[in-house]
Amino acid sequence: MRYALIAILALLALLIIAPPLLGTGWQYALINALIAALFAAAFNLLVGQGGMLSFGHAAYFGVGAFTVIHLMQSVEYGDFPFPTVLLPLAGAAVSLLCGVLAGFFATMRSGVYFALVTLALAELLHSLAPHWDEMFGGEAGLSSMRMPSLGLTFGSTLEVYYLTLAWVVICIGLLYAYTRTPFGRLTLALRDNEQRIRFMGFNAHGTKILVFGISAMFSGVAGSLMAISNETANYSVFSTQVSALVVLHTFVGGSTIFFGPIVGACVLSLFTFVVSGVTHSWMLYQGIIFVLVMLFAPKGIGGVIQAHIEQRHSLPWKRLAAPYALATLAGLMVACATVFVVQSLEIVLSREYAAAVARTGEYAPYTVFGLEWRVFHPLTWLFPLLLLVPGLYMLRRAFARIQTLWDNDESDDDGDIATTPELMEGGR
Amino acid sequence: MEFLIVSTLNGVIYGMLLFMVSAGLTLIFGMMGVLNFAHASFYMLGAYFAYTLSGLFNFWVGLIVAPLLVAIIGMLIERYMLRRVHAHGHAHELLLTFGLVFIFEELIKLFYGDFPVSYQRPDYLNFAIFNLFGTDYPFYRVFIGLVALLMFIVLFVLLTRTRVGMVVRAAERLPDTARALGHNVPMVFLGVFGAGAGLAGLSGAVAGAFFPTNPNMALELGVIVFVVVVVGGLGSLAGSLIASLLIGVFSSFAVGLDWSLASLFGLIGLGDWANSLGGLVTMPLSSISATVPFLLMLIVLLVRPAGLMGSKN
Amino acid sequence: MDTETQSDVLVIDDLRKHFGGLEIMRGVDLTIKHGERHALVGPNGAGKSTLFNLISGEHRPSGGHIYLQGQRISGLKPEQISRRGLTRSFQITNVFSRMSAFENIRIGVMARHGIRFNLYRRIRPMRAINEESHALLRQVRLDHRADSLASDLTYSEQRALEIGMTLATGAEVILLDEPTAGMSRDETAYMVELIRQVTEGKTLMMVEHDMSVVFGLCDRISVLVYGRILATGGPEEIRSNQEVQSAYLGEEEEH
Repeated sequence: MRYALIAILALLALLIIAPPLLGTGWQYALINALIAALFAAAFNLLVGQGGMLSFGHAAYFGVGAFTVIHLMQSVEYGDFPFPTVLLPLAGAAVSLLCGVLAGFFATMRSGVYFALVTLALAELLHSLAPHWDEMFGGEAGLSSMRMPSLGLTFGSTLEVYYLTLAWVVICIGLLYAYTRTPFGRLTLALRDNEQRIRFMGFNAHGTKILVFGISAMFSGVAGSLMAISNETANYSVFSTQVSALVVLHTFVGGSTIFFGPIVGACVLSLFTFVVSGVTHSWMLYQGIIFVLVMLFAPKGIGGVIQAHIEQRHSLPWKRLAAPYALATLAGLMVACATVFVVQSLEIVLSREYAAAVARTGEYAPYTVFGLEWRVFHPLTWLFPLLLLVPGLYMLRRAFARIQTLWDNDESDDDGDIATTPELMEGGR
Repeated sequence: MEFLIVSTLNGVIYGMLLFMVSAGLTLIFGMMGVLNFAHASFYMLGAYFAYTLSGLFNFWVGLIVAPLLVAIIGMLIERYMLRRVHAHGHAHELLLTFGLVFIFEELIKLFYGDFPVSYQRPDYLNFAIFNLFGTDYPFYRVFIGLVALLMFIVLFVLLTRTRVGMVVRAAERLPDTARALGHNVPMVFLGVFGAGAGLAGLSGAVAGAFFPTNPNMALELGVIVFVVVVVGGLGSLAGSLIASLLIGVFSSFAVGLDWSLASLFGLIGLGDWANSLGGLVTMPLSSISATVPFLLMLIVLLVRPAGLMGSKN
Repeated sequence: MDTETQSDVLVIDDLRKHFGGLEIMRGVDLTIKHGERHALVGPNGAGKSTLFNLISGEHRPSGGHIYLQGQRISGLKPEQISRRGLTRSFQITNVFSRMSAFENIRIGVMARHGIRFNLYRRIRPMRAINEESHALLRQVRLDHRADSLASDLTYSEQRALEIGMTLATGAEVILLDEPTAGMSRDETAYMVELIRQVTEGKTLMMVEHDMSVVFGLCDRISVLVYGRILATGGPEEIRSNQEVQSAYLGEEEEH
């Protein structure tokens, strides 16, 4: 646990020191990654700890965003003085209120039905918002400007970054503290066995409403920060995509671990930032990553890391080194082949390319990985095949080997990497 | 009067289309407990495959082969993906299909571009079947309805009159018992998943030639189909038929009506007061027509989660 | 209504329950005295589990009343009944499987201290809570397994944990649903001893199929047949009751 603390402090120091040295593009990407991290952590309070899978968390994110935009407007027009620094508090309050209200109804149901109620609530808002001008500014949405407060102008991206960082760190800290309170422990018990906590004298419905409300509240803070950063919000913050993205982030990172969703959100949103500049297909890659994680690492990246940390003393690291290296190499080969095919298709099937073919009558060579390729040359399609087939074969062999090595060395618990008390309870 | 008849007709046909897509979804949920988020993606795949095939061969080849291709894709997903994560529970299966939605949408964008493709019906199907109050009514709408009707009859006969149908219904209610009786339940699941996907593909192939075929069609229809299966009762075929027609007719009427809550208040003499409130109260039905189905879904989920016809709670 | 004395902890008066047209409870009258260990026996389908569900608030009775320490509890929710001092275990293992044994107990201790919506204090420094949890864990002899996940415990350890959780809520009246089901002879003997120890001074009502457990552990026995109490009495009385023999015990001996 001491190492974890040192790692977190080092990361924090990096987040404070590094951004001034980066361009505004990266600063902006980091703001979005931080917001996504907070949103995922808030979402995971409901999903990972409370055991309630929501498909409509965009609603509370959006409520936070619109609350803040309304407040910013009244500050801008001088109707109501409110320090910019504290704007997320307002978003939190309104989202908490909405969360408690929505949670009251949604938590009357469980499982798939709960998920559908949350989905319906978000879709309700999403379909209503573009027609409700006074509240959501119609299809165009609402805009405002950040007013100077506490001697800060919030004119530069960097200042917004530090504001975001401060709020995100405080909120994630609070969410972590939550897990160590009696109610935090009760939340886990609720996830494991709702019936039992009722027979132990707890009000299960009330508990679920509060968990829902708190999750909505922190989602609202994330939405608020987004509104402050963009100075605008429109009905698309309620869209299925926003709800979907937080699900993706959370489960790729691993919902059974507190820091899993945070890692997932940071990694995926920075991945998006880097990749979306290069290719249109970034969402495809994200979908593939998500499905692969669901299929082969059900507890997410965080779950895999945690399993390794837990077994670090019993694993035969020396014998594992070779298959791990092989798996890495094979994984790279398969990834390389996939990216090559997708990028080739993206170019060859694009409108521009079709137009060029129509204009010149010939299929011009195109560039992927810095090399020129011809559409009808056999080598162009042999290349990914030569990477893919041996890659898949090697991957299979490597994983079979890794599996046996892990199984042989398992002590008493059979590879079960569920939420362990150590991790959730913290400093032991 | 004209509005009434045309809207009803349009609504019923749209409702039958909705049913064609939701039948598979609700059947799969009833039997396997899997809420397949990617179901509407099968609808989209059907439309795009049919578009390509009708370009290569002709419209009829597209109409027949595209659903078969979609059914095969569905079976592959069931066999190699869903079955793999089955042990992790239904939430996990649901998440997996959720991820597939993105992959399908992006693959379609990759191959066909972000814009709608012009999937055309053949000219000889492009005529007015009758004339209503001076407006021609397109034959193709009726054709969509006929295909849906045919499919419904086939499905009904299969489920009630054949041995396979009996096994499916047995496996739906008591999978363990059905397995104990020696039926190959995984095989039945595979078949049902494939058939459900194929049905969605067929509706895509039929409807894609009339409504726009674009990469958003899965998401747009997907949420409505969810509304249908919830309102009808998850797992109930008859329920989703009724719900499909209900929502189809409602959507078709709502577009043309400018009723609002304020006009409702107007009936009891409070119209001016209601109009002064503004906001939600004066919003015309036509602009919240997309909202009402979700409201209906929400009410059903909270008041009667078993849906109109469902028996399970 | 029977004359109610201080020593009558749980009084069940003409309790009825039907599901649709099916009548499961057909007027049950039963009085449990303070400090007694009372067994509920009867053939399968007699309604033993339903009776437990009615007492503990899982189902609402269709008719009749239940009184706990003189206060009516029929119609209350499970959590309200639990707070009034009656709690139950379940036929199937029903623990918080992804939490440690210690934490399973601690949730119960939290309930006893009325800590329900506490979000402003850390739980680790709460000494009273933690010490009490450890003491209870010792009492059900699981102290060496404190940090193991509940799902990693053996079956009999999980059943012991269940009983610990039931005790932790501080209930005066404890309902155990088949606590020795599926256990070996040794495990059963161990569990009987454990139950005897931990329920000292409390009131116990249990459903049990194993007649040696019933006769060895319980002071009084009620025989439930088709939604009615056929007989109530001490072990000797029940053993010699002709009606009971034909309805139940006889059937059991044929196995």
